[in-house]
Amino acid sequence: MSGRVADAATNPGAHVGPSRLAPWLAMLAAYAVPVFFVLAPLTLFLGYSFFSVDQGDIVFTPTIANYVRFFTDPIFLPIFWRTCLLCLAVAVLCVLFAFPVAYFLTTLRGRRRYTLLVLLLVPLLMSYVIKIYAVRSILGGNGMLNKALLATGLIDQPSMLFVFNLNAVLLTLTVLLIPFAVLPIFLSLERIPKALRHASADLGASGAQTFWRVTVPLSMPGTLSAMSFVFVLAIGDFLTPQMVGGQSGFTFGRIIYSQFGTAFNWPFGAALSVILAAVVIVAIRLGGHAERRHGGAR
Amino acid sequence: MMRLADRLAPALLMLMTLVVFVLLYGPLMVPIVSSFFTVSRGAVDWSQPTLSAYVALMANESVLNALWTTLIVGAGAVICSVALGTGIALYYTSPHAKGRAFLQFIIFLPFLMPPIITGLALLIFFRQVEFERSLVTIIIGHTVFVLALVYRTILTRLQSLSESLVEASYDLGASRWQTFRLVLLPNLSSAMVGAAVLAFALSFDETMITLLVTGTQSTLPVRLWAMMRLGFTPDINALVALVLLFTTILCLVAVRFLMPKSAIEGSDED
Repeated sequence: MSGRVADAATNPGAHVGPSRLAPWLAMLAAYAVPVFFVLAPLTLFLGYSFFSVDQGDIVFTPTIANYVRFFTDPIFLPIFWRTCLLCLAVAVLCVLFAFPVAYFLTTLRGRRRYTLLVLLLVPLLMSYVIKIYAVRSILGGNGMLNKALLATGLIDQPSMLFVFNLNAVLLTLTVLLIPFAVLPIFLSLERIPKALRHASADLGASGAQTFWRVTVPLSMPGTLSAMSFVFVLAIGDFLTPQMVGGQSGFTFGRIIYSQFGTAFNWPFGAALSVILAAVVIVAIRLGGHAERRHGGAR
Repeated sequence: MMRLADRLAPALLMLMTLVVFVLLYGPLMVPIVSSFFTVSRGAVDWSQPTLSAYVALMANESVLNALWTTLIVGAGAVICSVALGTGIALYYTSPHAKGRAFLQFIIFLPFLMPPIITGLALLIFFRQVEFERSLVTIIIGHTVFVLALVYRTILTRLQSLSESLVEASYDLGASRWQTFRLVLLPNLSSAMVGAAVLAFALSFDETMITLLVTGTQSTLPVRLWAMMRLGFTPDINALVALVLLFTTILCLVAVRFLMPKSAIEGSDED
């Protein structure tokens, strides 16, 4: 049957295939925008990382000076590692919050599960900037959190632990990214055959034993991809640290951004971005996204 | 005994879920509620509710301009990305397609890479080819950003359609165009609408790429970003409340169109 479609499509005489040019035109149409506005800019960007700047002008002579600077300058590497660690902490925190929610979702059925899932999806599409702003209003020096802590008598003056520093960035990113962690974990939990859990119970395992020795190991692909998902989103963010990080909350993303603003060193910024991209690729690989995508493509 | 733990677990799960919902939605309540009150010297005056912030907003030209820009950009990005996404999905499934995996890889790049990389790459590219930054550059930025999702949504639907549907159409003598218009399009339309709503919602909120590729105009999130750096004020809160209301509606519409049947199945559909 499918031979017939191929026949009709390739036979220039049939009314279906207008000319021999058609496949090439189709290819051109399909590739034009992705190549011109994605591949070309990214390639140029990579190229820029090997240029340099001289008195505000970009020098188009290849050099690895930008990369050398990153690895030798005492400023950048510590911030880079600190940012990686911060984003890893965000990923772990998000998974800790998201796992129970995802598990709870799998225990629901029908309309209740659907409603809860939608309620978890809605914040994903809500304005990122607004969410940062909202969390900031809670974390501030006279924000809700401090007021609540004062009211309960836990502290007697506003705590500065989470006001305009890296802790604030950590908390804000965690709150912002939890929904991204829930979905992959939920999907992997849902895929675990019920029979396995029943078998575990039949063999005399308690609920807790089944959870720790059957459910958790089998949900690892989802958990890891949730972590890599959150990590990638966190490390690429420069808005959150800018908004709640203050003077001390400098992150890698913020440094890249500053190269295109105040510091005005595009080639160096490009080199830092290439390093960021490398980290992101590693994180995605570790999270097994590629494998999952193939599984999902079918 | 273990039995106690087994009985406690569901309650604990529910509690954790509740905590997460408070974390997700709680902070948003602060600006929404305070938008109905006045703020004096950094503190909210709870004594009397007022709509003055909303009235002031309607007269705020820069906000209205930003809203207008956002709508134009959103419409542009939706049209471009749905047209492109559909075209590329059709190409992907056609027997002549060359380098499918590569093409798909390029499309996914802006979605996988942090927006700052996409934004900066486009910024440098536009400067290099001396393409002045304007509304058009924002639309291009948004289009490549949402394309992956739109394309994927439409492709998934396309692949779920039975091949025999297309074969039957050809067998009955329909041309390629007729098959597309009369067989494929009606089957794809709900996925296309869902993808369009999703693309619009993403474009409506996109900040990082916009911030980098914009010229003099600012979209609503970029305008909000500039306002927010100044502090916590009633007019920002009012704007925040309106934007949240709008995105929530968009999201619910998108979900309605895109939620896999299996998720709704078993729920008493209305």
